[in-house]
Amino acid sequence: MNKRGKRLLQELDREIREHIELATQDNIDRGMTPEEARHEAFRKFGNVTRAKEDAREVWSLVWLEQLLPDVQLGLRQLRKNPGFAAVAILTLALGIGANTAIFSVINSVFLRPLPYHDPDNLVMVWENNSEYPNPHNTVSPPNFIDWQRRNTVFSSMSFIFDERDNLTGNGDPKEVVIQNVSANFFSLLGVNLLLGPGFTTENGQSGHDNVVVLSYGLWKQRYTGDPAIVGKFIVLNGHPQTVVGVAPQSFQWFIKDGSLTGARPQLWSPFVFPQAFQQHKQIGRFMTVVARLKPGVAPSQAQAEMRTIAARLEQEDPDFDGHWGVNIVSLRDQICGDLRHALLVLFGAVAFVLLIACANVSSLLLARAGSREREMAIRTAMGASRWRIARQLLMETLLLALIGGGIGVALAVWGTNALLAASPRNLLDLRTVSLDLRVLLFAVAATLVAGLLFGFLPSYLSAHSRISETLKERGRGSSSASRRALARKAFVVAQLSLALVLLTGSGLLIRSFVRLIGVDPGFDTGHLLTFKITLPQSRYGTDQSCITFFQQLLSRISTVPGVRSASMESFPPLTGLGAATSVHLLGLPSLTPSDLPVANVRVVGPDYFAAMGIPLRVGRLFSAQELTEEKHVTIINQAFATKYLQGTNPLGQKAVIYMKSDAESESQPSEIIGVVGDVHQLGLDTAPEPTVYWPHSELVMSGMTILVRTSSDPLALLATIRFQVQQLDPELPMAAVATMDQLLAESLSRSRFTMLLLGIFAVVAVVLAAIGIYGLIAYSITQRTHELGIRIALGAQRRDVFRLVLVQGTRLTFLGLAIGMLAALALSRLLRTLLYGVSATDPITFAGVAGLLGVVALLACFIPARRATRVDPMVALRYE
Amino acid sequence: MSTKEQKQRIELLQGTLDLLILRTLLWGAAHGHAITKAIEFNSDDVLQVEQGSLYPALHRLIKRGWISVEDGISENNRRAKFYSLTRKGRRQLSVETGKWDRLAGAIARILRPKPEPE
Repeated sequence: MNKRGKRLLQELDREIREHIELATQDNIDRGMTPEEARHEAFRKFGNVTRAKEDAREVWSLVWLEQLLPDVQLGLRQLRKNPGFAAVAILTLALGIGANTAIFSVINSVFLRPLPYHDPDNLVMVWENNSEYPNPHNTVSPPNFIDWQRRNTVFSSMSFIFDERDNLTGNGDPKEVVIQNVSANFFSLLGVNLLLGPGFTTENGQSGHDNVVVLSYGLWKQRYTGDPAIVGKFIVLNGHPQTVVGVAPQSFQWFIKDGSLTGARPQLWSPFVFPQAFQQHKQIGRFMTVVARLKPGVAPSQAQAEMRTIAARLEQEDPDFDGHWGVNIVSLRDQICGDLRHALLVLFGAVAFVLLIACANVSSLLLARAGSREREMAIRTAMGASRWRIARQLLMETLLLALIGGGIGVALAVWGTNALLAASPRNLLDLRTVSLDLRVLLFAVAATLVAGLLFGFLPSYLSAHSRISETLKERGRGSSSASRRALARKAFVVAQLSLALVLLTGSGLLIRSFVRLIGVDPGFDTGHLLTFKITLPQSRYGTDQSCITFFQQLLSRISTVPGVRSASMESFPPLTGLGAATSVHLLGLPSLTPSDLPVANVRVVGPDYFAAMGIPLRVGRLFSAQELTEEKHVTIINQAFATKYLQGTNPLGQKAVIYMKSDAESESQPSEIIGVVGDVHQLGLDTAPEPTVYWPHSELVMSGMTILVRTSSDPLALLATIRFQVQQLDPELPMAAVATMDQLLAESLSRSRFTMLLLGIFAVVAVVLAAIGIYGLIAYSITQRTHELGIRIALGAQRRDVFRLVLVQGTRLTFLGLAIGMLAALALSRLLRTLLYGVSATDPITFAGVAGLLGVVALLACFIPARRATRVDPMVALRYE
Repeated sequence: MSTKEQKQRIELLQGTLDLLILRTLLWGAAHGHAITKAIEFNSDDVLQVEQGSLYPALHRLIKRGWISVEDGISENNRRAKFYSLTRKGRRQLSVETGKWDRLAGAIARILRPKPEPE
């Protein structure tokens, strides 16, 4: 305030007195008695204090000057009502904390840029078969070469396929995941290596590809962050490779859909296509392809051109490319696609929780406004403007919001960590989730919006109450009180409906999860240890050496006390896609190669089906001789028989399984000798796929997963089993050690995660809604003590009083449930993709949650209703 | 001042009060009570200044530099504040008057449209 204003205000009092003096004089001149004249002058002037306040506001940056007193007053008010303050702050902290935690995950998944140069121009290029659709089907090398030659939409393309290799030297042998990539991989992604020059174009030519780039983690752990690592040799599968670079810590490349190992890479090596890839098309589809769009080219344009190219390839080579098209997916969609839906649902859910929390605090404030009505009326009479009072109340609510928000952010830090601990491990690199500026801004915005939401109505109603009425009626039964009561009822109805929506969502997820874990995986997952052994080419070059090694290993493990049986499989269930190929059934009309049925191929060891607990349906299992020699026999699963051999006897049928590398033995048909039960390969929510089983002798593989069935905790035997492996070959690492129960839990982890979180939010919502309706009924009873006392005095039975109170609560409950039910019907469709075996409008769930919430709400009314029946009429009548 | 019936009196809008104060001060410096009286007298008692808002309005005009204030002696020989128009205020008055004329004309045209020529 400036000096001039200050002086004017100091003298304003005298000036107004003078004004009234003059006016009085005028009135006397006009013939009034002095007393009348004075009274009339005052009446005409109006509220003196108000005039002074208004004049003061002209000069000051009012809100700034009044801020401090408002804050002090607000804090005093909160201290005076610690119970109210604690409930309100805690409620808000829960709401804001949950929102911030979920937002911080959304921020890192959707909003933060991917750690590549210009990531918006990166796309994944997949194949997709119109007969057996899989929009993320891996790519064959010859098609990649053709695409690269013919397209005009990409500035560059790169392929990736991963495998497990043995890393020796510098400590224990270790199985590592390596990504074989084209030499332009790092330059396409625009990644600057931490150390070293990386791959040159020369590395993309045969004879120059014995180089590797290490991941930051491998460099730190295995080579202790050796700054002079570039130029040194490491030994992979017995072959020396030169280190030409170390990737930065933030660099990640893991596309789950195309990954053959299902694991993150630890190093990268350039891969040069052998001459055969260029001419001979009969090469499997196993690569992931990433491409960078030319500037100005939209993904849809790229999709259109690639479709044309695929159509031409289909014409040129119908045997190999018939029905095969191309599918372009932006990198962001590829990475977030899995999670987007679940996270958006959770975000919607926490927003609901915050709304319910706001309604609760707002309702509390309204109740308190009743008892403060006289205070406000007196302040208005003393000259406070409506805006001034509303501002004072808003300041109190803002304080509540800020304290709640502060605690909420602390909760969010803790909650995000809990979230990470509970989140599916393989799903996403959530380690990058953290509270950054954007998250804090979000928290502040959420706090302010919450403050305005819950503070607006109480402030508005208080500021617009009529003073004279309030002062006369002593705050009871005034029109503003009834408006507040109406608002609180509306809040309770809204809370119940929101809570019902959340409860329905979580009910659907719980039911779908129960369905899911009720699914029979097709084999016995209990007490089953799995680990992977990969024999290096350099020391186990021949088929016979591989067969012998695995035979010896299995017989050694079988002798370990506590082991019931031991076997092996190439790609066990719940560990990823595994190999698949086309199968030619000789008994059926012949088809072009691209129209042949496709089946998973599994290579198994002795006693496999017994060890796994997979039942034999028809025929017989592999004999001892078939397990050691190439006898051209195969066992199929139920799904294969149903899908491809419907109506015929599968036993004795001959099938050519295109999996072997040399053309001569590839066309040798195998005879189907048995049918076994189905196994869920990818997860319980994915239907079993047609599968053919070969004995290990039929297709010798150097990498096998050992399966050990134990009689007690399988991990307890790990050390003994490891000793047996090292007895056979001290250079061999045991990789991917896990029990089958762990793998099963992990395959369910996303469903469990979403269900758990939505469940927690729903419980919080129900508790808040219950507090809301309890508070309303309890308050209305204190308001009606007088009336209830009269009723009891006049002879009303306790039962009548009880019913009277309960009817009020019941009416609100039913209204809330009805609205909530409609909203849930409209919104549950959004959950459809997250559900398994349950319809989004499942009547049992809807009825169940409505019943549950109804009971909780009525219980919340029950307690105050009981209290109402104990009203002592004598006390109540004296109660004023 | 009860010559007019209560219902014929009109309370002033805030911006209008500013305009009327400026216009009143065109005749020369005046104190608060005199300004009120002048507005009521010149409007045949139709316009009633809500006096509670007179002083805040005066302070507002001072702050904007449209009027100035100095101490003087009132008609009953007491010290009083006399408000007078500044040059800036004079200019503002003509701007505001122009605005008011346009507004009043526009409202009049809507409320009492001229009959269509036959």
